[in-house]
Amino acid sequence: MNDLELIGVGKTYPDGTVAVSDFDLAVKPGEFVAFLGPSGCGKSTTLRMIAGFEDISNGDILIKGKNVSAVPPEKRPTSMIFQNYALFPHMTVRQNIGFGLDVKGLSSGEKKAKVDRIMEMFGLSEFADRKADRLSGGQRQRIALARGLVVEPDILLLDEPLGALDANLRRVIQNELKLLQRELGITFVFVTHAQSEALGLSDRIVVMNRGRVEQIGTPHEVYASPATEFVARFIGSNAIIEGSNLSFDGDAAFVDTAFGRMHGRRSQSLAPGAAALVAIPAEAMRIQPANSSAADGENRLRGTVSMKHAVGSVGHFKVDLDGRQSVDVQTGTDNEALMRLAIGDAVIVDCPSDRVTLVARG
Amino acid sequence: MEARALKPVLGVYCAAFILFLYGPMIILAILSFQGPGGGPQFPIIEWSTYWYQHLLGMTPPGRISRLPIGDSLLRSLTLALMTTVVSTVLGVITAQGFRARFKASGIVFYLVILGMIVPGVLVGLGMALLTNMLGIDRSWWGTAFVLHVVYTFPFAFLVMLAIFNRFDRSVEEASLSLGVSPVQTFRRVTFPMIFPGVLSAMLFSFTLSYDEFSRTLFTSGRDLTLPLTIYGTFSVEIYPNIFAFGVLTTLFSFTLLLIYALLMLRAVRSAQSFKGQEEAE
Repeated sequence: MNDLELIGVGKTYPDGTVAVSDFDLAVKPGEFVAFLGPSGCGKSTTLRMIAGFEDISNGDILIKGKNVSAVPPEKRPTSMIFQNYALFPHMTVRQNIGFGLDVKGLSSGEKKAKVDRIMEMFGLSEFADRKADRLSGGQRQRIALARGLVVEPDILLLDEPLGALDANLRRVIQNELKLLQRELGITFVFVTHAQSEALGLSDRIVVMNRGRVEQIGTPHEVYASPATEFVARFIGSNAIIEGSNLSFDGDAAFVDTAFGRMHGRRSQSLAPGAAALVAIPAEAMRIQPANSSAADGENRLRGTVSMKHAVGSVGHFKVDLDGRQSVDVQTGTDNEALMRLAIGDAVIVDCPSDRVTLVARG
Repeated sequence: MEARALKPVLGVYCAAFILFLYGPMIILAILSFQGPGGGPQFPIIEWSTYWYQHLLGMTPPGRISRLPIGDSLLRSLTLALMTTVVSTVLGVITAQGFRARFKASGIVFYLVILGMIVPGVLVGLGMALLTNMLGIDRSWWGTAFVLHVVYTFPFAFLVMLAIFNRFDRSVEEASLSLGVSPVQTFRRVTFPMIFPGVLSAMLFSFTLSYDEFSRTLFTSGRDLTLPLTIYGTFSVEIYPNIFAFGVLTTLFSFTLLLIYALLMLRAVRSAQSFKGQEEAE
């Protein structure tokens, strides 16, 4: 049975604004799912609908097979972690963590044992009797996690839980979160606008835009095979080139572009003859001087270098194709010939067709 | 340049402000130490605490009758306490209601605020006419009490509205999401966090009710409240015992304020150090 199911879930505000529409998703037990999208895309609203803080306008939400659409938040087997931690400022760390257990009818011994165990697990034991306010951001996020997990929810809902932390701490907590989720086997639903978090943490990503689901897939699927123009533009760093007159030959697809005929993988959702966009990942492209002898690649594009910089082991080029469009190319920095390229040099960029995705426009 | 020229002006302004604010009180306080034979004006014939003793009934009976404030003081305190409790509870509940935007909330808001805007004498007079028409007896614990609540409730409501305005809803949501019922969430999370605001609302209600005059004038019935009694004594002849009473009641108010400040300090300190941490990151 699925831990969580969203069936045609939608949210329309009284003033007619549609925040979320037609959201379908089934989450398996123990899965780590990330909702990824720009701010205002409806990801937090969806999470809040799962938690019960927002009414749903259409569809149903099922948790462990039970329809919870009309169940108030305190009766749902979910626990939510907030970006600002939402700790209780008038309570100690121990009181914060034990708060949810107070209403569970446990004996004080049982309760103490549970709180002690989880504080131990999160390395919070030494702060037990301090007010939560005396602690750092990372520690407070751990308190919030401990508080949410000690009540043993079926699903942990995390609303941008790393957003308030600085970059280093974010990486640390991110790793902890991943380990923790594997260890506990609890289903996590994680909302973020940072693709690195979604790609690095989750088993599956739901990419959202303007209240709609754009694509659901594993991090690799979403990254390597964007299903829509939005995903291609939002995730990774893709060059997007307009094409038309789509045709198929087996698993291969061809379109005509301003830079010649281009060749990519066949995509299910596109019909022959249609217009399509060509999405090429920056790191899948190869760049070489125009006079280079090795001129055998697929999807060859001619252009001139308009920008170049290198950070450690990664080199970035911007290649101007025709004065109107340029593509970003990402390379290593160990190729001497490449590093000698200067702005204004003529180059050839190419990309193997199995890395090229065709998506519908819009 | 400008700031230097402005400084003395501001200084004078500030001094004048303080003088007008405290001057009357200081005069009263000085005159309250007038000697037994002296009147309610300068010069001080002889410094003494005679009028304090007179006020408290510790002097031998004489020509000047004692201030008849014992009962009315008790009445005013009781009335102020009743008003404080009812107005604060109403204020908290109403402000809580306003957190969720509802239809016609704008109209309801102005209806509530009306209670502190309309002239007190008119409301008092209106209430008197209304109760006359309906044949209801007027009393300080009935008609006057209702008007005190109508008057102070908007203040309590506005204070609580400001408090809830800055209140972080996610803390309540965190509690709900942990399985704690809305009632328990209010009791254990919301209320402790809004407590400083509740204290302010109580202080407002109490002090406004305690010396309310115009609304009470027509509605308190036979038994008078303290401000009415004191006003009544003016019509006979003024003796410095009124000043002595003024000093004592001011001291009482200051004590209330001090208790409030201490409670507030404690509440704010714990809340502030929490916020400070968050910003420090």
